Amino acid sequence: MSFDWSVVWQHRDALAAATMTTILLTIATMAIAVPCGIVVAVVRLYAWKPVAALATAYVELFRNLPLILVVYWAFYVLPILTDTGLSPLATGLAALALNVTAYNAETFRAGINSIRRGQLDAAMALGMSRVQALRRVVLPQALRRILPVLASTWVSLFKDTSLVSVIAVTELAYVAMQIRAQTFRVLEMLTAMAVIYWLLGYPQAKLVDWMQRRFAVAE
Amino acid sequence: MDFDFTVITSHARFLGSGIVTTLVLSIASGITSLAAGFVVALLRLYGPGWLRPIVVLYIDSMRAVPVLVVLVWTFFALPILTGLTMPPFFAALLGLTVHLAAYAAEIVRAGVESVRPGQMRAAMALGMSRAQAVRRIVMPQALVRMLPAFGSLLSVTIKDTAIASVIAVTELMRQSETLAGQSFQPIEVFTFAMLVYFVMLFPVTRGVDLFYRRVAHLGRS
Repeated sequence: MSFDWSVVWQHRDALAAATMTTILLTIATMAIAVPCGIVVAVVRLYAWKPVAALATAYVELFRNLPLILVVYWAFYVLPILTDTGLSPLATGLAALALNVTAYNAETFRAGINSIRRGQLDAAMALGMSRVQALRRVVLPQALRRILPVLASTWVSLFKDTSLVSVIAVTELAYVAMQIRAQTFRVLEMLTAMAVIYWLLGYPQAKLVDWMQRRFAVAE
Repeated sequence: MDFDFTVITSHARFLGSGIVTTLVLSIASGITSLAAGFVVALLRLYGPGWLRPIVVLYIDSMRAVPVLVVLVWTFFALPILTGLTMPPFFAALLGLTVHLAAYAAEIVRAGVESVRPGQMRAAMALGMSRAQAVRRIVMPQALVRMLPAFGSLLSVTIKDTAIASVIAVTELMRQSETLAGQSFQPIEVFTFAMLVYFVMLFPVTRGVDLFYRRVAHLGRS
């Protein structure tokens, strides 16, 4: 067996660019999925019954589907349904956002439910509208409680971005596997890919542990 | 747009074999990762001191690396290192077990740590050995408390088997992808796959929750 690790260094620019795409994809997905998650959660809790049921159906559906299937589905079906050609990146972003929004909605719903009903009543008794009470009283308290859960969703999302490699989004997993196919340096490239994910993911996992201790709700 | 779902019925055997593989892989990796998770957690909690940092590093590393990366590495890179080639199914089983055992271990640890230390001390004060106290007093209570988390881990396991399609395991995701490409009817095929996965996954989480509600009182102390 002979290994040639210089292949990793030779492709450093491509790997760095791909790593950047992975990070940006994570940030962009979260930037969409947090506000959308709040909206879905509020709709589920306070909207007119049939609309709330629709939101529930969406959340339950996407929480019970493998993400990779959603990615394939978005890739093949979105262009037919919308009649527009989306780039792989936009398709991957849409699939990830659909998935993470469902998880975030469930997190926000649990967070809002964990704030005692009296808080909302008290805010409304002070003359706030329901929307005002939610925005100023309930949500700020709920947010603090669910921060560790959101952080752990963030880490899952960071890892799940690797799945959009199956529709040729040029993120880390896809690019590393492309270089592997071109150079036949299988072990070196796949190990490099794993190490880059580890270097980025490990501190995030540790940060989540810290947040879980720091923001733990004392019963 | 017209839909023609006869593509599903005419390839029922092909898709059916995919469903069977998904189920077999899910159950097999569920069992192996549960068993491995228990061993890892017990080593972390009660094992020799020098081993603990290694166990913690393993668990945290698996939480940091995507399951796709673990699967691809196990299937393509590991044979180069060991000289042994594995059929895709066993590579998937190995990769999924290595990945999911870390999560199972964290569930076991959280369950054991949730049992108040007084229980352990009381058992040892009654003359039990440490191993006896863990087996007879701590574990029975901890096991009940772990149930909901194991339920969601099982649903994660089923979802993760779909990623094994990347290393050519002929489970439902792979078969659907192949059929979608051959038949040029991706909407019908993927919608069917969605339905099947939903039908497999939804009862798992719901079923475990319902079961837990009936046995939750056994875990209180």
